[in-house]
Amino acid sequence: MGLLTRWVRRQFTTRVIVLMPVAIAINIVLGYTVQNVLKLPIYVDSIGTILVGCVAGPLPGAITGILSNLIWQYAPGIGGSSIGPFAVTAGVIGFMAGIWGYLGVFRSRPASGLRLIVPAAIAVAIIVVLAARMYTIPQYNDPNAGNYPNWVYAAIVVIGASASVAVALFVYLRRDAAGAWVAVAGALTGVVAAIVSAPIAAVVYGGVTGSGTDFVVAALRQGGADVYNASLGQGLLSDPIDKTITSFVVFLILAGVSSRFLARFPLGDRLVHVDAEPARSPEPTGTPSDS
Amino acid sequence: MIPADEEALLPAYVRRIPAGGYRSLNPLTKLTLAAVSAIVAFGVRGWTGPAVVLAVVLSSALVAGVLRRMAPFALATLPLVASILLVNTFLYPNAHDVIANLGPLSPTWTGATAALQATLRVVAFGLSAALFALTTPIDDLLGELERRGVGRRGSFIVGSALGAIPRTVERAREVVDAQRSRGMDTEGRLWRRFRGLVPLIGPVLFGALAEVEERTMALEARAFTAPGRRTILRALPDSGWQRAARWLLLVGSIAAVVVSLAGVVKLP
Repeated sequence: MGLLTRWVRRQFTTRVIVLMPVAIAINIVLGYTVQNVLKLPIYVDSIGTILVGCVAGPLPGAITGILSNLIWQYAPGIGGSSIGPFAVTAGVIGFMAGIWGYLGVFRSRPASGLRLIVPAAIAVAIIVVLAARMYTIPQYNDPNAGNYPNWVYAAIVVIGASASVAVALFVYLRRDAAGAWVAVAGALTGVVAAIVSAPIAAVVYGGVTGSGTDFVVAALRQGGADVYNASLGQGLLSDPIDKTITSFVVFLILAGVSSRFLARFPLGDRLVHVDAEPARSPEPTGTPSDS
Repeated sequence: MIPADEEALLPAYVRRIPAGGYRSLNPLTKLTLAAVSAIVAFGVRGWTGPAVVLAVVLSSALVAGVLRRMAPFALATLPLVASILLVNTFLYPNAHDVIANLGPLSPTWTGATAALQATLRVVAFGLSAALFALTTPIDDLLGELERRGVGRRGSFIVGSALGAIPRTVERAREVVDAQRSRGMDTEGRLWRRFRGLVPLIGPVLFGALAEVEERTMALEARAFTAPGRRTILRALPDSGWQRAARWLLLVGSIAAVVVSLAGVVKLP
């Protein structure tokens, strides 16, 4: 009983309980604006989920994601038409954000010289490997699964290249190696999210969701992809971009609020940058509890 | 029982317990019905599952007297339904039974069938969500769940999130107005709107986070983390048959999905 209960309880301090509804509202309002009002082919409905995950841990992150989608579906007045079943995806996104939080991905890491170049190079390499993997994934070239139209391959190259340049520039201009890890975490979250949502979209909605991303699905179908692969292809294009952008938004928010505010959350000690130069006094003890 | 004319004088928290065929059901029973509708509408393939759910939802709505108020919810599914119908009818993979050749487009029967089935699923599920939302006051549901041991943290998160949504919308509107007053262009072409997001997201997020600190203090000062359970003054009626029905519905719907997926019984 002891260890697991303590681990669970430590993630749900009063501060986290207060942050979760705020995060849910942020998810719903921004997601609604971007998907239904602006009709952009991305989602931006997981800023709150990733925020809670990385300051509080995997469980609050997962619950924030799941509740966001369920409340969005069932709440009177704002009822979304297709979002409910994707609660599974949102839960996975929140859980992964909690793991990134434990790993300290979102902690600012001012650096210079080699310590800046190496992480940036690793991040760019991982982005290139991910893009190459999408380019050569066997089922895309299998005549039974359906081929994609040529522009998809061009799009993968363009997106991979511009993401690499953007991440390298971000790391270089801010002199902050964290940007590299944030990009990797965001892209991986996106790939997992795409793999989780494709079967949901295919089984539940016949592959479309009624938002801007449907244009991508239709184009992939035109190229001959089947229902599942068209959804997966759309997800693999949209999700990594969406989650990387979202992760950077969360990173910039965390960089913008005071350290004092962050330090009071369960994972605060992994979010706040401590200057390494002065002899470090004994580690700030465990979790700053606020109960 | 309080006479109706005196009811108007009562403060808001002493509302009458809802009466009438469907409305008087325990909130948990309604929640179970909504969950079961979703399971059956999505899980039982073909026409049968969604059609049964749609029939049950519409007749319940008739009994509860909310049929007319469900219209906006049905309209809300329109963009999705349009997308489903267009994409599937015209672009269904590996379908060759062409209805008619319209230039480069060739709608197929297979695609149209799949599209109509998906539409039925979406409408059935959407309306079951609408029925639940229209007949279940959220306070009743949260109170009932708390009485059954969900805990005040759980009910706080859901209740507070529902309150935070209109506040966040209002804040976003204020931010947009403020940015416009200093010359930001929020209308027009896609790229313009896209750029307008940045000066919107920042202030909304920081504003929302700023209130977290205050509310934490307020809750701590009011014994939010105190041990023990709160006393529920307004217990909603529940009955033995409702309890039995809830379990029966849950088990039955899962069994129906399993039977449908295993293909034991051929349903249309």
